[in-house]
Amino acid sequence: MFRSFLWLICFGMSFSSFAQEVVGNHGTQTMNPDVSIIFDGVAGWWQHRPLSLAGDDPNLEGTSTTHGGGLTLQEAEISFSSIIDPYLRGDLFLTIPNGEGLEVEEGFITTTTLPLDLQIKAGKFRSNLGRQNGQHLHMQDFVRRPLLNQNFLGVDGLSAPGVQLSWLSPLPFYSVLALEAFAVKQSEDTDAPVQTFGGGGRDDVTMTATWKNFFELDESRSLGLGFNFAQGRSSTAIDPTTLIRPVGYGQKTKLYGADLYFKYKPANTAQSYTSVAWQTEYFQRHFDGDDTIAGQNDGGLYTQVVCQFARRWYVGARIDFLGIPKSQFVLPSQRYSSSLTFAATEFSRFRIYGEDEVVTANDYPQISPLSSMAVLLQFEVSYGVHGAHPF
Amino acid sequence: MKILTILPVSIILNFSIAFGGDALNVVSSIQTLGAIASEIGGDKVVVTSLSKGYMDPHFVDAKPSLVLDLHKADLLIHVGLELEVGWLPPLVQQSRNANIQVGENGDFEAATVIHILRVPTVRVTRAMGDLHPQGNPHFWIPPKNALLIAKALTERFKKLKPDQGAYFDSQYSRFLIKVSELEKKLEPQMRKTKGLKVVPFHDSWAYVSEWLGLEETGYIEIKPGVPASPQHLSTLIGKMNEDKTKAILMENYYNKSTAESVASNTKAKLLEMPSDVGATPEIKTYSDLVTGVVTKIIEAVN
Repeated sequence: MFRSFLWLICFGMSFSSFAQEVVGNHGTQTMNPDVSIIFDGVAGWWQHRPLSLAGDDPNLEGTSTTHGGGLTLQEAEISFSSIIDPYLRGDLFLTIPNGEGLEVEEGFITTTTLPLDLQIKAGKFRSNLGRQNGQHLHMQDFVRRPLLNQNFLGVDGLSAPGVQLSWLSPLPFYSVLALEAFAVKQSEDTDAPVQTFGGGGRDDVTMTATWKNFFELDESRSLGLGFNFAQGRSSTAIDPTTLIRPVGYGQKTKLYGADLYFKYKPANTAQSYTSVAWQTEYFQRHFDGDDTIAGQNDGGLYTQVVCQFARRWYVGARIDFLGIPKSQFVLPSQRYSSSLTFAATEFSRFRIYGEDEVVTANDYPQISPLSSMAVLLQFEVSYGVHGAHPF
Repeated sequence: MKILTILPVSIILNFSIAFGGDALNVVSSIQTLGAIASEIGGDKVVVTSLSKGYMDPHFVDAKPSLVLDLHKADLLIHVGLELEVGWLPPLVQQSRNANIQVGENGDFEAATVIHILRVPTVRVTRAMGDLHPQGNPHFWIPPKNALLIAKALTERFKKLKPDQGAYFDSQYSRFLIKVSELEKKLEPQMRKTKGLKVVPFHDSWAYVSEWLGLEETGYIEIKPGVPASPQHLSTLIGKMNEDKTKAILMENYYNKSTAESVASNTKAKLLEMPSDVGATPEIKTYSDLVTGVVTKIIEAVN
């Protein structure tokens, strides 16, 4: 008994000394931030230039009556992220859309140790509003973002200098409330539809409130449900010929919306390589009226399904509806899109995407064309520090 | 009046202490680390594991529901060496839990106490697949490593709960005895595995091979995350037949099809290995895992 006890002590001691010899012998120590690069290249053709383009859509030129096509570097993104100190983390994403102009897509700090289950984010960042708005281009399953992005949230989505306060509720499921305030810039894009936000003076802050919930139905099925609200003042670009802002500028605006995300993915994906993700978002917008214009309501919706059917293959379909209800700021239209993605590895993807955008004719007989098709081929690569897998 | 309000509070406090309300909340990334924590922590810890033994620990879905587990954690135990890089960091960041942030007392990276194998000696690029540039992270099965982790966890528990130091020490001693008795029991079988020629599916059995004296003669998926090419497979099959390779080792969460076709063209037996506690419903503890691994490999010897 005593001997085995002695042996134990010796054994234990030898272990601790062994452990000390090898402790901390991995990785290169540098204080450099994690750097990674993502870019998307597109080759394609479209029958007519789309009625509205998002900031990170591929720009293949053309006009509303002539076709466009060719090649473009849809977006190049460089990201730098790091833990700053025991209290903060920093993230910076620089992007160059269509090879023109360096933009700060996001640059923000996040707290890591605030009490009361709070977290603050400050800087320039994409709003938490809805589901796709917060995601970068490479998280999208289609080459172009849904139509409600540029029609209701902004050409680059709702993304601006701002601050966010979020609170993880003590409910037994994941439930986060977030409040945001943004200083959105006046729209400068003369092609863009009336923008929901960015109008008025410096003190016309765009505010959002979101409530995000997540339910794990079982190990393979989960459901996300979000409720979204935002208010601000509408903005438009100055009309280059008349040098005045078109009707609809500077009205008080409100957005109400909800988003739904359902995912089926077996815990042990490799057995079948099957998964399904269904995502839907709806926004309804309200413009306040004044002497020049009556109050207006309009809305937009998209719904999409993406299925994995083999180890490296995904197929997706999406339908966009604009103008439910309709107003003078949004053309009632539908867009039907589909995509087929081959993910060669985690770091490269190749995609073929097709869409047909249809404007409801009887409402706008002067609009031509009524239907516009596009076929786009895209590659998407990422390199640098291993990023997180999107959920 | 004051007493009346204080009384219920103190009763509640007493109850919560008596019923383990002050037990340490331990969250592990993989189940084996959680199982080792249970051995040392006993009834002074409550263990939750984010991934389950039948899942691929590289590709756990970063579900927001996991944030809730991390939110209440006093200690997060993870493997490190970028095994969980695809899902754990964003969850920790969202957890709003200061205790478990990198470098805090509630953050325990098991790799820091392990003698790491197969640290690349050449400059790695992703042309070699999605490999781990800091070395092989699949180290938790051999008893030597489990005991190193257990020892370090004992120290960490003592730091987090100084009044229970003697308890954790005695738990560690118990675990040490348990493991050495298990090794003694398995010794006759382990002697048979020495020199056994195997082809692992991935390079994820390095530590087991070293422990059991297995000889790795090749890999099926040579570049992690990139399906094996037909040319590679036909060369491998030729080599396996020449070497008289006895077994293909593959974690039971991988798709069998490629490994099965290699097995059918050679004399090697495809072993669907448990690689983590929880890999099969019967494997509930660390000892079950070790027994399961050895028993499975013996199937190829007989």
